[in-house]
Amino acid sequence: MMVLKVENIAKAFGKNKVLKNVSFEMKPSSLYGIVGENGSGKSTLLKIIVGEWKSDSGKISATGRLGYCPQQTLLFSQLTVDEHFRYFAAAYGIEKETLITRSESLMNYFSFKKYQKEKIANLSGGTQQKLNLAIALLHQPKLLILDEPYNGFDWDTYLRFWNYTQQLRDEGCAILVVTHFITEKERFDKVYNLEEGQLK
Amino acid sequence: MRTKRIITGLSMIMKMLFRRRIILIALVVLPLVFLTVVELTAPTRYIPFRLASLDIKMFIRESLKQIALVFFSVTSSGFLVSLVALNLVQIENDVNRRLVICGYHPFELLISNLLALLLLIVFIAVYITMLISFFVPIKHLPLFIFGLMLIGFVYGCYGLLIGSMIKGKLEGVFFIVLLANIDAGWLQNPMYYAEAHNNIIIRYLPAYFPSQSAVIAAFTDYSGANAIFYGTLYGAGFLILALLIFYKKMRIKK
Repeated sequence: MMVLKVENIAKAFGKNKVLKNVSFEMKPSSLYGIVGENGSGKSTLLKIIVGEWKSDSGKISATGRLGYCPQQTLLFSQLTVDEHFRYFAAAYGIEKETLITRSESLMNYFSFKKYQKEKIANLSGGTQQKLNLAIALLHQPKLLILDEPYNGFDWDTYLRFWNYTQQLRDEGCAILVVTHFITEKERFDKVYNLEEGQLK
Repeated sequence: MRTKRIITGLSMIMKMLFRRRIILIALVVLPLVFLTVVELTAPTRYIPFRLASLDIKMFIRESLKQIALVFFSVTSSGFLVSLVALNLVQIENDVNRRLVICGYHPFELLISNLLALLLLIVFIAVYITMLISFFVPIKHLPLFIFGLMLIGFVYGCYGLLIGSMIKGKLEGVFFIVLLANIDAGWLQNPMYYAEAHNNIIIRYLPAYFPSQSAVIAAFTDYSGANAIFYGTLYGAGFLILALLIFYKKMRIKK
């Protein structure tokens, strides 16, 4: 059974055809990477997969809970870390007890528990990125879509990130990582190169 | 639609609003400055004027200062609510989008924003009425508060509409200031209106009915029911448009 099926996705901005019949599919526990130069259409493809943008043609089928970590840290500058977990838990439909357990676990794992009462405006870029990622993981997704997820991470957090993704894969989660640069290709089941609007 | 999501949304929106110092300062200081300037500068000469929304042809005789104070309380109420409404839907809109991707329905977010706006409308109306009570004896205080709430509702929904339509912050503020300045801040002034060459246009502007209802409540014993009804209708029109545009922009596209 496929967790994600992307069929013939095309998208153009004016005369600029960014995506041309992009197709791929992902099974549970798989880890795929998509690399490409700046402006190659990686983030456009992800935004179409998560439903933020509409494609000009093609079809997306996804099953199970979706976790999405956008490239920009999309957080409310005036809310605290704890308040973000509460707000997004309401979106996911997570109960209070489960929320406490999961948010504590994520904050401890990625070492930002000491900032839980801090407003986002007062946090460093790296800590904001940890929360950005933690929000995507909060509801234990079955399909995780990550856009440049380790931007701003220190080495220790980078390693922890990969350990965590391995745990998720063991639990059946399919992970799609989009980045402009992949150093450790051996971690991935498959790495696509997005070039001239097509996956190669 | 889940009530829990709406309540969580409302509580977070209120926290975000009151943690922005500039909003607190605007809400508390601006009306005080507006009314104090009017109190210090407006002439005290008495003049008769006619209220357009009343069917009967009767003239009200009040001092220019008192009329100006009532008029500027309406203006400041509408202007402030409109700016806050714009801020609610426009600021950090991308994060709201992320909430929708994570499971919020766009209407749940908009209802949370609307509830936050209603609380602010009540706060601003009561606060401005308290301030103006120091300067002007208001004949029907609850109805006057309602008049200020009505301008807050109409202009608040206008702010929501502009915030839903326009992405740029500066452009959004420009549209708010433009209408608030011309309509609520100038054309609806009873003194200007009474002498206007063509008052048909003025009657179709958003601040017309709310300002009429506030002035009727402040100075007369007549009923402002008509003005209240049409003002509510005007605000509802803005609200429906804002709802549709907000939903279209925020929904998941699959």
